[in-house]
Amino acid sequence: MTTAELQERARRPALAGERGGIVDYLTTTDHKRIGLLYLFTGLGFFLLAGALSLVMRAELTFPDLQFLDEATYNQLFTMHGTGMIFFFASPVVFGLANYFIPLQIGAPDVAFPRLNALTYWLALSGGLIAFSGFLVGGAAAFGWTGYVPLSGPIFSPGSGSNLWIIGLLFAGTSGILGAVNFVATIFSMRAPGMTMFRMPVFTWNMLVTSLLIMLTFPVLTGALALLFIDRTLGGHVFDPAAGGSAILWQHLFWFFGHPEVYILILPFFGVVTEIIPVFSGKPVFGYRGFVFATMLIGVLSYSVWAHHMFTTGVVSNLFFAITSMMIAIPTGVKFFNWIATMWRGRLRFQTPMLFCIGFLLMFLVGGLTGPFLASPAIDYAVHDTYYVVAHFHYVLFGGSVFAAFAALYYWLPKMTGRMLDERLGVAHFWLTLLGMNLTFFPMHLLGLEGMPRRIADYPVTESGWTLLNVVISGGSAILAVSILVLAWNVISSVFLGRGAVAPDDPWGGYSLEWATSSPPPHHNFSALPPIRSERPVFDAREAAGRGPARRDPAEVEVPADPAADQEMDLG
Amino acid sequence: MGRHRGLRLRAIALLAVTVALAACTQPPVTVEADRVQGLYNLFLVAAAGVFVVVAGLIGWNIVRYRSRGDASLPVQTSTNLVLEIIWWALPTLLVIGLFVASAAVLNTNDARHPGSPLRVKVEGFQWQWRFTYLDSLVQLTGAPGSPPELLLPVAATIDFQLVSADVIHAFFIPSFLVKRDTVPGVDNHLQLTIDQPGTYTGQCAEFCGLLHDQMRFSIRAVSPSEFATWLASQRAAP
Repeated sequence: MTTAELQERARRPALAGERGGIVDYLTTTDHKRIGLLYLFTGLGFFLLAGALSLVMRAELTFPDLQFLDEATYNQLFTMHGTGMIFFFASPVVFGLANYFIPLQIGAPDVAFPRLNALTYWLALSGGLIAFSGFLVGGAAAFGWTGYVPLSGPIFSPGSGSNLWIIGLLFAGTSGILGAVNFVATIFSMRAPGMTMFRMPVFTWNMLVTSLLIMLTFPVLTGALALLFIDRTLGGHVFDPAAGGSAILWQHLFWFFGHPEVYILILPFFGVVTEIIPVFSGKPVFGYRGFVFATMLIGVLSYSVWAHHMFTTGVVSNLFFAITSMMIAIPTGVKFFNWIATMWRGRLRFQTPMLFCIGFLLMFLVGGLTGPFLASPAIDYAVHDTYYVVAHFHYVLFGGSVFAAFAALYYWLPKMTGRMLDERLGVAHFWLTLLGMNLTFFPMHLLGLEGMPRRIADYPVTESGWTLLNVVISGGSAILAVSILVLAWNVISSVFLGRGAVAPDDPWGGYSLEWATSSPPPHHNFSALPPIRSERPVFDAREAAGRGPARRDPAEVEVPADPAADQEMDLG
Repeated sequence: MGRHRGLRLRAIALLAVTVALAACTQPPVTVEADRVQGLYNLFLVAAAGVFVVVAGLIGWNIVRYRSRGDASLPVQTSTNLVLEIIWWALPTLLVIGLFVASAAVLNTNDARHPGSPLRVKVEGFQWQWRFTYLDSLVQLTGAPGSPPELLLPVAATIDFQLVSADVIHAFFIPSFLVKRDTVPGVDNHLQLTIDQPGTYTGQCAEFCGLLHDQMRFSIRAVSPSEFATWLASQRAAP
């Protein structure tokens, strides 16, 4: 792209160069547009599932039922969990991966662009189908874990439950296809010089995540298919009254479900590991050890599922205790890597870095409550109480969501050509940190006092519970305000075009996405810098700064022929 | 400006974490819960120690290595084998220690008691509980809105037989620091010995459908003689 073209782009409102009409987005096979579709879909479901949680918090503020009945409440927490796990967190992971894997490895697109489009539309359809239960007399109301026999035909006869199964089958199928696509892209489409151990850590973590998805999502879809057969075709797989098993579902579900937790956190470990080095002015410390730790978490994640089943009395608790506790080792190593990366650096605290610091501290708290739950005797006390709710919200909100916000501030300028407002970003950070701790920290205490999760009402006689619930609901209101600040920032900076025009490399980045324009052209790169380390853009910047600009003979020319792009689109 | 305030907030938060988590657990009232409380305290000390070290290092980084507008590149260190071996080893040792302590408590608490404990059948159903003293066939059945009260003697081993006829429930008494699921098709047991007289509330902990929140009950622990008198009067009643 020439300088004149860049200047022309700067005069136009953000996104204009890439936006196109609605038909372009409906028919696109461009990984960047699909990435944006995924991200905005994820954001939409985040708002929807978040709104459900605010309704629940309003009801739980005081004892007794104020404006909800049990039937509604049970639908709300089921769809809150389902929405956040399957239709917010997964699409955000897939959106970031779609947009940035090809850019980070110097590829023009993913390996299978049309499969990629199918993957997105399956994911969106799945979400709409699962949530459409609200329109047909009641959504699923058996928790996002769908335990049998409760989720079977006798105890949950409504069609909302069938829609939940079908929606998740769509999401599961979409996940498998997307993972295959990412693995193929990473293995076969890296630019010359981009060896495996020069890949950015985000791409590495997405590779491990994709392998996890390929091995666990089929188990979920299989289990869902069996449940669907039980519900609609008279099967008895999960029906103990007819010789089926009530426990089998839990094994199948958690064999998927626990790796799923790592599927939702490993990509965000990757995000944080992109951002912290850039804002510290140093390379990531212990790159190979970090990658090895990611792989170890992936492997271990297959051996820990039954720690969700300690209280069932039918699993080998000590075996799953030691495997679960072992997860703390590679995770702890990652913390030391992040700390050593910052050590003796030049730390710049712009919004992406602030959210990374928030991630480190919040994920630390969530990580430290993990071993408590991995110890069966302690788990007997706190399992299925608010302690567990606190634990996984510190991991998934303090971890994944904080890192997703960091990614948003870090990469949205690249995706849209507009910088987000820094002051609003800082306000968003502090509100989120405050709201998150007021919301989720007291849940530890509630759990220790014995308040079970998933109850619409609690007795007024439990005197300590009311005060804590009031604090939690107040915290959730602050979180709601923080989301409004973020939404206004995105709308005003990007869609109203008030944000500063983003340069190609606003942060002093290291990886290849910073070597192209913001937003990148359809074919991604007109030329690539030489790839001699895991920080090609850093190397190029240093080389340019140290001596007279010289052209490296290894510089790769990529044809920038618009006609070629068209062909690529048609597949 | 934000730096110092941030640090103070962190210190206060840390203090609150430690004090609150230690103070707010249910006071243990069974022999088994005493051991769980001890194990929990051990984990809490370990977790607080790790939090102080890790958060302290992060805080030190923030304060000490904050960019002061110096444009020069910091030293580009990227690996140190000795350090990496140390930080693989430290969490490994910690995990081994916590696992050994966990295994000791679990094996003691889950061991079946010899002799003949007081046998109580606990049946979860949508949406209440039915308790049956198996040696006398006295039965207590709750209904949503009228939770049953189970009388039990202190200082005697009690063997709960946990069953369900419909969906999965969980028999949970917060003060006992324990719960166990009632699973259709599975015969579960839970044995414990209450050592403090008193009334303890409990409720279903595994989501079981519409009125899950109504599955409350209570346990009243009394002296063995009072329990024997009560049981005899129940048996005499039609």
